[in-house]
Amino acid sequence: MKQKTSTVKPTLSYRLKKTVVGIALLALGGTFEKVSKHSAELKEEIKDWRKGIVISLGVLPKGPAISLKEENGTIRYLGRGYKNPDVKILFKNMDSAFIPFTAQMGSHIAFVQHRALVHGSVVDGIKANRAMAIVQAYLLPGIVFGKVFKVPPKLTLKQKLFKLYVYLTMGIDMALNAAK
Amino acid sequence: MLPEYYEFICPVKILSGLKALSNLPYELTLLGAKRPLIVTDKGVVRAGLLKLVMEAFSESDIEPGIVFDETPPDSGSAVVNKVAKLFKDNKCDSFVAVGGGSVIDTAKCANMIVVEGTNDLMKFQGVDRLEKDMKPFVVIPTTAGTGSEVTSAAVIYDEASHTKMAFTSSKLFPKAAILDPRMTMTMPAKISAATGMDALTHAAEAYYCLAKNPVSDGFAIAAIRLIFENLLTTVKEPKNKEARLAMLNASLLAGAAFSNSLVGVVHGIAHATGGVARVPHGVANSILLPFGMENNFKKVGPIIGELAPFMGMPPTGKPMKDAENAVAAVRKLGKQLKDASGLPTKLSEAGVTKEQLPEIAKAAINDGSCTINPEEITYEVALDILKKAF
Ligand SMILES: NC(=O)c1ccc[n+]([C@@H]2O[C@H](COP(=O)([O-])OP(=O)(O)OC[C@H]3O[C@@H](n4cnc5c(N)ncnc54)[C@H](O)[C@@H]3O)[C@@H](O)[C@H]2O)c1
Ligand SMILES: [Fe+2]
Repeated sequence: MKQKTSTVKPTLSYRLKKTVVGIALLALGGTFEKVSKHSAELKEEIKDWRKGIVISLGVLPKGPAISLKEENGTIRYLGRGYKNPDVKILFKNMDSAFIPFTAQMGSHIAFVQHRALVHGSVVDGIKANRAMAIVQAYLLPGIVFGKVFKVPPKLTLKQKLFKLYVYLTMGIDMALNAAK
Repeated sequence: MLPEYYEFICPVKILSGLKALSNLPYELTLLGAKRPLIVTDKGVVRAGLLKLVMEAFSESDIEPGIVFDETPPDSGSAVVNKVAKLFKDNKCDSFVAVGGGSVIDTAKCANMIVVEGTNDLMKFQGVDRLEKDMKPFVVIPTTAGTGSEVTSAAVIYDEASHTKMAFTSSKLFPKAAILDPRMTMTMPAKISAATGMDALTHAAEAYYCLAKNPVSDGFAIAAIRLIFENLLTTVKEPKNKEARLAMLNASLLAGAAFSNSLVGVVHGIAHATGGVARVPHGVANSILLPFGMENNFKKVGPIIGELAPFMGMPPTGKPMKDAENAVAAVRKLGKQLKDASGLPTKLSEAGVTKEQLPEIAKAAINDGSCTINPEEITYEVALDILKKAF
């Protein structure tokens, strides 16, 4: 019997993955904004971005997405969805997104394995990706660094304390950002 | 070891052999084309190659609509738009590119403009942005290096934003590539050497960088073997048809490999060196390749070592010794090409100044190729490679 694709219900595994990826994106958006205000390393990166550039990160075809904007040398989390982005970093499907978003794989491998692709200027995409790696060092537990980074970052004591602050405030941030 | 996941695509028909060019009208007819626009450049015309192409059309139903022979080395959006307009004004129905990478990329981008019906290429930047099928497109390479006749990529300079725009799409593949050694016999020695080293860099980087896979490995190894057996001969004996055909095949094989497995830090820095100091792409690659290989010894030394036997170095049984031998073989080839054609082996010999190195390093880390390099490429690492190659 032929089934119309629109009548195929998403499986439980798909819906679970979608929820996890959605939460990971939300955490990333808020943390990006926060780290961009404090980390000298990230500020240095963002200095190089095109002024006012909007970058979206999302999952095809209809998965979750977030948008981030450069504003006066820092990053503002614009909220969920594609908000007129100049550059999109896209994952081809939920399975492709799930593994990198659960820190089982670095973004470079996501590109190598054709899981992720850039729509727009590749140079802008590379810059965003490098900035994201800095944010991930605050977001992810050190134990997964070996899997995610080519060279695992070593945080200073000050950076570790800031990471603790990021962790402690993440719940509140996400609750506030969820409405965006 | 198999990669966890990979993709491979090369949908281009290949016609290889002496006088393969005579099949051009037949191939165009198969594609339903009658009035091609021919894209080429002044150097190619001066070498008498356009004449060979025109002769191939004699007594056929095919009549070129117009010839565009003003492709510059770093073609930009203005040129591409001009070519697209010529296509429409002359009621053409297909593209034939006769030239090196500059000509081929210009034809690819003009084709994109024609079918997408826009003169703003900006919005097609990135991966898989094209939805419409291209007009029939046949490529006749006149250099043996870029492999653009089998790649899904095109790069073009945007005058408005002063940046290079990169496009990758399976729609960008030509329908057929015609490899005829008569088309490369006129290439000057230094361009033969530089473009051949570009091909070697494609094959080597495709083989040891992160997106390697068993299919592209096969293409890369076949290319490397042909390059070590034939490149120096083409430089010393420009009219050697067998060696010229072998290099055209090597370039195509390496192109198919890197169109799928991408390239690494050598290309990342070479692109930046081209942008900042105007060093031709093949020249920059040739200088940087040994240093790029060494940069990756820690992560993939044994994989680099696997290439040694195809570079004329018998395996020693010690993987890291083989890796060193592979680098030594590349250096030796570079030196031989220098003696035979004046191909530089240092950046300082290619017109780069010490003051330019930081700017080059800064541009290099924003190049997508560095993402695919096994070793992390930070500004400091890129600058270190540049200093060593200076
Ligand atoms: N699309 C891709 O996948 C891809 C890959 C690599 C490089 N590229 C692009 O290719 C370009 C470089 O291409 P290239 O190295 O082939 O050089 P090229 O096309 O710029 O040609 C170099 C010079 O050689 C001359 N020439 C070419 N063939 C000749 C012949 N048979 N006889 C006499 N003179 C001849 C040309 O007139 C030109 O002056 C760069 O712009 C680069 O960005 C594209
Ligand atoms: Fe190249």
